[in-house]
Amino acid sequence: VIALAKGRLLEPSLDLLSRAGILFSEDVLNSRRLIFDAADGRHRAVLVKPADVATYVEYGAADAGIVGRDVLMESGADVVQPLTLGFGHCRIVIARLRGAETHAHSTVRVATKYPRITMDHFNSRGTPVEIIPLAGSIELGPLVGLSDLIVDLVESGRTLAENGLEVVEVLAQSSARFVVNRAAYQVKRAEIQGLIQALEGAGQQR
Amino acid sequence: MKAYTQIPPGTQILIGTAARRRSALERAISSVFEGWSYEEIVPPIFDYYDAFIKGMGTGLEEQIYRFIDREGAILALRPEFTSLVAKTAATRLAGAPKPVRLFYSGEVLRFEKTRGGQQREFAQSGIENFGGSAKSSDVEVLLIAVEVFERLGIRDFQINLGSVDFFGGIVDQIGLPESDIAELKDLLNAKDRSGLEKLLERLPLEDRRKAVLRAIPHLTGGRGVIAEARGLVSNERSIAAMDHLEHILSIFEGLDLSQRLTIDLGEIRGFDYYTGILFRAYVRDMGFEVASGGRYDGLPASFGADLPAVGFSFSLDRLEQIVMPYLEIPEMAPEQISEGAGGAQAFARARDLRRAGKAVKLCP
Repeated sequence: VIALAKGRLLEPSLDLLSRAGILFSEDVLNSRRLIFDAADGRHRAVLVKPADVATYVEYGAADAGIVGRDVLMESGADVVQPLTLGFGHCRIVIARLRGAETHAHSTVRVATKYPRITMDHFNSRGTPVEIIPLAGSIELGPLVGLSDLIVDLVESGRTLAENGLEVVEVLAQSSARFVVNRAAYQVKRAEIQGLIQALEGAGQQR
Repeated sequence: MKAYTQIPPGTQILIGTAARRRSALERAISSVFEGWSYEEIVPPIFDYYDAFIKGMGTGLEEQIYRFIDREGAILALRPEFTSLVAKTAATRLAGAPKPVRLFYSGEVLRFEKTRGGQQREFAQSGIENFGGSAKSSDVEVLLIAVEVFERLGIRDFQINLGSVDFFGGIVDQIGLPESDIAELKDLLNAKDRSGLEKLLERLPLEDRRKAVLRAIPHLTGGRGVIAEARGLVSNERSIAAMDHLEHILSIFEGLDLSQRLTIDLGEIRGFDYYTGILFRAYVRDMGFEVASGGRYDGLPASFGADLPAVGFSFSLDRLEQIVMPYLEIPEMAPEQISEGAGGAQAFARARDLRRAGKAVKLCP
């Protein structure tokens, strides 16, 4: 069982799997079904929210999954990450209003959908921080005075630029990863290694 | 919200079949331990905080439930048994003939993230062996772990066996700062090849050494892995570790059990206290290991007696999620006795049946 993230990673994930010989017969992208069997009869995909891929794999409900590194860092899931895939590139950055001053001495208010990554970062700097968890449109935070900074995922930087924000610091590079449940990695060794090799081969073909 | 009607996250209440299953499981496992002459030890549920910190080293402090007693001593609810058992072996049992063999069964408490069925109060059954030679006691505890699986009728299990000395010997030689070693360990544990490449680019190491580090995540399998590992290292500590693993594997081959053992040099997770072999047991289609253990020669010394030590523990909460065909859970089948008019008659009958060894149930 492979857990796939709905959203921007789904199409490239399916594309990679098909080049590795794992074809999903139905139109996974448009259907509302959540479970799909591969044409080879040996693999099965479950479609879940990106943050849940880490959970499914950590619990062993799925043996493996494809998910962004940002999600893995945020969830803190204990999984094996044998393969970095060549898509879904983006950066996790700290941004602020263009030209704004950040006062290092007072508590900084940070809007984000990555509270854990944000907290870890500011803890390591010893900077007092108030985290304002948001679910989307993080860029609004500084614009309406909700926060001083934001921590968000940036692909091209256009959204930031159009909202008058600038990057202060890049916290991490993110891209899609193939992740495996720890126990499955050991107990289903042959299958998992085969899959890793197939995906690696498929990734290089492009 | 009336929180007091709920129980806290990470705790559970076992009733009926679930409770009978738990005690049957504990008894079955204990009987295997007793069969190998391990004595039961029932340690206190709390002890001095320092005793656990000495034992476990860093990493688990944040998960310990701490409290202060009326005299100001800092105490902790036991987050594991090994430190407590090691302390007893090093103090009260210091004069006992070696090896000292002890087993325990009970709850431990850790402030864990409650996910993956992980409880904050969870049950462990395990053994500790003090003062025996590594050559024989390492094999002994592994065989006991195998017998537990056999006793419960679990077929699809696998024990991954590694050694902290293999990686330790490599790290000793390359002399990296602590922070780099910590990062290296994290990457190797995640088997994150691209992350490892990035770190290696930055580290001032010879190519030969980098090749060794790159190979570590793949060193998993049968006897061939040991030969491959020997080709990679030249330091004494790593080589001695390979000799030892080969010795264990040979005995397992002699017992026709080698298919149960996977040599795994890429797993370097675990408590700081491990000093030699390290192992984890997995069961097919179970997302988490069900048992883990290893050698921890340094631990008894921190309680005043320099004793070699090895042990493991099974997670009962996880075992209970697996089908255990040989585990017999006692049925409740009492004789029903009507209370009747409320005189002595019904009780007399109940007592007679009890004396005859029957189960009874008084009914209104």
